[in-house]
Amino acid sequence: MSDEVKSAEATESGEVDRSPSLYDRWAAVREHEAAVAALTFLGVFLAPLVLVVLPEMLGVPTQYIWYRSLIVLALIWGIFAVGYDLLLGFTGLLSFGHAIFWGTAAYAAGIFSANVTGSPIAMILVGTTTAVLFAWVIGWISLRRGGIYFAILTLAFGQMIYYVFLSPLGWLTGGENGFTGVEVEPLLGFLPLGAEVAVVPDAIVQTWMYVFVGLAAVLAVVVGNRILNSPYGVVLRAIRENEQRAEFVGLNVWRYKLMAFVISGAFAGVAGSLYVIQRSFVPIENTLNWTVSGEIVIMTVLGGVGSLFGPLLGAGLYMYVANIVSGMPAIGDFWHMILGLVFVLVVVLLPEGLWGGLTWLRERAAEAFGGEDR
Amino acid sequence: MSVVGDLIVLLVNGLQTGAIYVLLAIGLSIILGTLKFVNFAHGALFVVGAYAGLLITQEISISNGKLAEWGYATIGLEWGFFAALLIVPMLVFVLGLAMERFVARPFYDRPDTDQILVTFGLAIVVQEVIHALIGPRTYGYDVPSTAFGLLPMTGPIGVPLSDVTINVWRLWVIVITAALVIAVYAIVEYTDFGLVVKAGTRDPEMVRLLGIKITRPYLVMFGIGAALAGIAGVVGGPLQNINPEIGMTILVPAFLTVVIGGVGSVRGAVLGGTLIGMVQVTLISLGSVGLGGFEVNFTPWAQVGIYVLAVIVLLTRPQGLLGSEEVSA
Repeated sequence: MSDEVKSAEATESGEVDRSPSLYDRWAAVREHEAAVAALTFLGVFLAPLVLVVLPEMLGVPTQYIWYRSLIVLALIWGIFAVGYDLLLGFTGLLSFGHAIFWGTAAYAAGIFSANVTGSPIAMILVGTTTAVLFAWVIGWISLRRGGIYFAILTLAFGQMIYYVFLSPLGWLTGGENGFTGVEVEPLLGFLPLGAEVAVVPDAIVQTWMYVFVGLAAVLAVVVGNRILNSPYGVVLRAIRENEQRAEFVGLNVWRYKLMAFVISGAFAGVAGSLYVIQRSFVPIENTLNWTVSGEIVIMTVLGGVGSLFGPLLGAGLYMYVANIVSGMPAIGDFWHMILGLVFVLVVVLLPEGLWGGLTWLRERAAEAFGGEDR
Repeated sequence: MSVVGDLIVLLVNGLQTGAIYVLLAIGLSIILGTLKFVNFAHGALFVVGAYAGLLITQEISISNGKLAEWGYATIGLEWGFFAALLIVPMLVFVLGLAMERFVARPFYDRPDTDQILVTFGLAIVVQEVIHALIGPRTYGYDVPSTAFGLLPMTGPIGVPLSDVTINVWRLWVIVITAALVIAVYAIVEYTDFGLVVKAGTRDPEMVRLLGIKITRPYLVMFGIGAALAGIAGVVGGPLQNINPEIGMTILVPAFLTVVIGGVGSVRGAVLGGTLIGMVQVTLISLGSVGLGGFEVNFTPWAQVGIYVLAVIVLLTRPQGLLGSEEVSA
């Protein structure tokens, strides 16, 4: 987003003459793919301990504490946000139409489960394929115009698909009531997602749903990390920093932008399918309405564009405010307004979001502990 | 029902729907064309205009908002519609000036995406403030039936050569919009002020070197664009339901109007708005038509039709119907 070439990923560790300090070694490990996967895995599956069990032990009132299905929801939105950040944060394209991919995937998965099979994995495959097809067509048209036109066009397409699904296709989609016939079958045929996981202590994950969505989230982060650290990711960042220069170097900028759009659409498709699997219902206002496109923008920007974990942080924060803070006395009724104000402040003051702020703090801490100067 | 009467009704409804889009699009288009600033909060100005019009025109009782809890269950000035028509543009003009000074100006040098994000955030804040204070309820207000006891302002009048009637207020919306459009067009095309603005669009640095203060014309242009959005809220208010969400709903057709007509062009905004309005209204009034044995109902496609129109225009003429290539870059 900003013109500075400075992000957590751009750090080159390794070619340091002096003997590496503890921090440098930690930094080198941190960048490694297996470490990213392991850290995400730990984060995802220890989250219930930190967010639910610990506050309970400390005596925080129950209505202010996370609950496990909310963490699942936050992880689903997190997958969506990670994919969205590949587009906004790393390619520099601001889409206001990502509800299309989240929503069409949700409908495809839901309708597929009602008519063919409710196997969760098949639902995800069908949903994601649908989202990719939509992303390909809409990206192909919208990317003809850059910058602001791209934002306006994607917003317009979002509204168009919303109205198509609302009324002309109402016989299939259930119109404004949403699609109600979703039937989710057990995972792999024998693991009901709502059932408790017997082998793991109850305090951690409770249901197979958590395991399923959690693994999907870890996979999403790993795939995102792989894309960003591949030559492909470098090209995307080059386009963000200077599109013209990337073009002059001989890169087919248009094709890379389209692929970034399709990839982020695929992430949205996976997330949208998971959303339907969790809710067993496709509500049109929470899938295709433009507010969903707005929410994903807010989450990603709030958490931090241009970082891998920022969008996850943003999704978690948004879910907490929307579901927990909204029930608090005095400020509860203003939660949306407060979120809007914080969003504006972040855009003005912290272009790299809250994660960018944390990274800044970490770097200051690293200096204090004798890390490499930057 | 005669064909002529139906066509006249269609024309009036289409032009009136388009007129609201034109009023919004001119502001968007000028701000985008001259200042290169994308204003996603333009719809918020429309909402503010509509609610200000509502509160100046009549008293409303609030059932579900914070104002009711704080002891202001009924608010409103009851000054009448014509007072609203005069006061709201001034109010929103000032609001526009403040927006230019404190929101837009710090962002002129930031990337497009940051401009969109900050105005989008602002639009949400405005929407949610209204939502929290006045509540999500839908309101409506009326235009007095006559002005000065003579001119009919609202109510049905017969269409010549047929037995159908139309609401006079729709005609007034078209007339008011036409007058404002001509005024803005004249300001931009035939005054020194407009000349400075246009020159600033081409080459702001050169204009500054010539010793002309470019910031003030920009400020005023932003204010004018905002005031037009406010007026759209007031004149469109009596024809639609007013709730906090209408700002974002109307923003998309307004942007499409700009895209179809061409950025920075007043004539383009008029053409685009009229086209969109006509397409929308035509599809609604077509209703169910038998086509080769199939019964096709066009009404649900009315909202979809305008997007199809926009896509066709963009694929065939990316700079918009009346836009020039250099401005739209």
